Amino acid sequence: MIHRYHLDDWYIVIDTCSGSVHVVDEIAYEIIGCYEEKSREEILREMSARFQEDPAEIAECYDQVTELKEQGTLFSPDVFEPMAGELKQKTAGVVKALCLHVAHTCNLNCAYCFASQGKYHGERAVMSFEVGKQALDFLVAHSGTRRNLEVDFFGGEPLMNFDVVKQLVAYARSIEKEKGKNFRFTLTTNGMLIDDDVIDFANREMSNVVLSLDGRKEIHDRCRVDYAGNGSWERIVPKFQQLVKAREGKNYYMRGTFTHANPDFLEDIRTMLDLGFTELSMEPVVCAENDPAALTQEDLPVVLKQYEDLARLMLARKKEGRPFTFYHYMLDLSGGPCIYKRISGCGSGTEYMAVTPWGDLYPCHQFVGEEAFRLGDVWQGVTNEKVQQEFAACNVYAREECRDCWAKLYCSGGCAANAYHATGSVRGVYKYGCELFRKRMECAIMLQAALQEEDA
Amino acid sequence: MKHIKTLNTRNLCESAKKGGCGECQTSCQSACKTSCGIANQQCENKKQESAK
Repeated sequence: MIHRYHLDDWYIVIDTCSGSVHVVDEIAYEIIGCYEEKSREEILREMSARFQEDPAEIAECYDQVTELKEQGTLFSPDVFEPMAGELKQKTAGVVKALCLHVAHTCNLNCAYCFASQGKYHGERAVMSFEVGKQALDFLVAHSGTRRNLEVDFFGGEPLMNFDVVKQLVAYARSIEKEKGKNFRFTLTTNGMLIDDDVIDFANREMSNVVLSLDGRKEIHDRCRVDYAGNGSWERIVPKFQQLVKAREGKNYYMRGTFTHANPDFLEDIRTMLDLGFTELSMEPVVCAENDPAALTQEDLPVVLKQYEDLARLMLARKKEGRPFTFYHYMLDLSGGPCIYKRISGCGSGTEYMAVTPWGDLYPCHQFVGEEAFRLGDVWQGVTNEKVQQEFAACNVYAREECRDCWAKLYCSGGCAANAYHATGSVRGVYKYGCELFRKRMECAIMLQAALQEEDA
Repeated sequence: MKHIKTLNTRNLCESAKKGGCGECQTSCQSACKTSCGIANQQCENKKQESAK
């Protein structure tokens, strides 16, 4: 399977199964477009009529296409499907990442919160050290030979339970050597409680910090308000700036959400840049279709254009010596994930689970509060094997809609939670999200083409 | 004349032979939390190779 697209001056052909990316000229682009349907003679005749080009040159171009096919980098067959189950089985029973919901409560009352203001449709609660410790022990015990273990402190707002976060990190550090593990911690925060102590701690212990900021003040403050209804932008931005400065190059992401109120989210990215932030992520809102924040069909062309303009902005800023990162465009074509990862996906419900303040296990943070998806708890482990099996069977070939999609090995079939919320099944497909994803990949690959050309 | 330039990419078929160590980051742990991006993840083995 191949995918061809034309963006700005670039004609790009992606060969899905080999993972190859070809930057081509217009003649090659057109030849590839009809290569499998027509004979050599027909194609050469058509191209000669269409392009003012020496027929010998067109023939040479045709032969270059044939050569790529013979090398297995164009029109390569899908040989992975028979091994999909087996590849995912490689990690069966191994847990390598937990999302610890240390606080099901929040000091903000964001209108669009998928976690219903941190409560996940349940009671307010914070995780005790004992529950968190048991979660870490569960992770170590089920991690097999995996050395790198990831733990995300999440909520609600995790800094509302900061003492327990510190205790859990100290506990993990005290056992990692003896257990032969390396903990990588992430903190996701709205910034309200950041102070010098948090900054010191985060910069010492957190591999990554995810900071929630939606961009423009009026956009941010429209949704991200406290319980008195006051916007949080002015209170958090200086704290984020202080934290990022003190981080001295360690990983962080400024993560925004865009909604129906700001499909023109590139303006919000520009605001983040103006504030001095360079590691950026901007995500479409996750909410019910009838929610006023939900993105609409009318928003779609606006959003797609933002992704294109974002790629252009990144290139321009790189040329000016002011580069920045956009999470979804960080493709490393030569050092990216292996086919196992591309087939298996995010690992929710198998390698990755979320833990509630009470120690219950769920397939991921987005399923918390959906009682039917409760997998078990950190003491007994996974007891709901039926649900776990459903997630274990989720691979890129498990979704019929993905079969003919060129981007399937870039998204692994997509997010199970998005699919569930859009279709009622974890093996469904959230089509709106797919449209955005495909556009992001086209832009990211175009960026790679441009950057490799610059480096050449 | 060269009509086609092939970018340096990882050969996915080759990665089927040795892949699957599972040491890579869980995609949702990084920055999105609400969608599934895989292609932008780093391979832990490749990262170590390039650090050598």
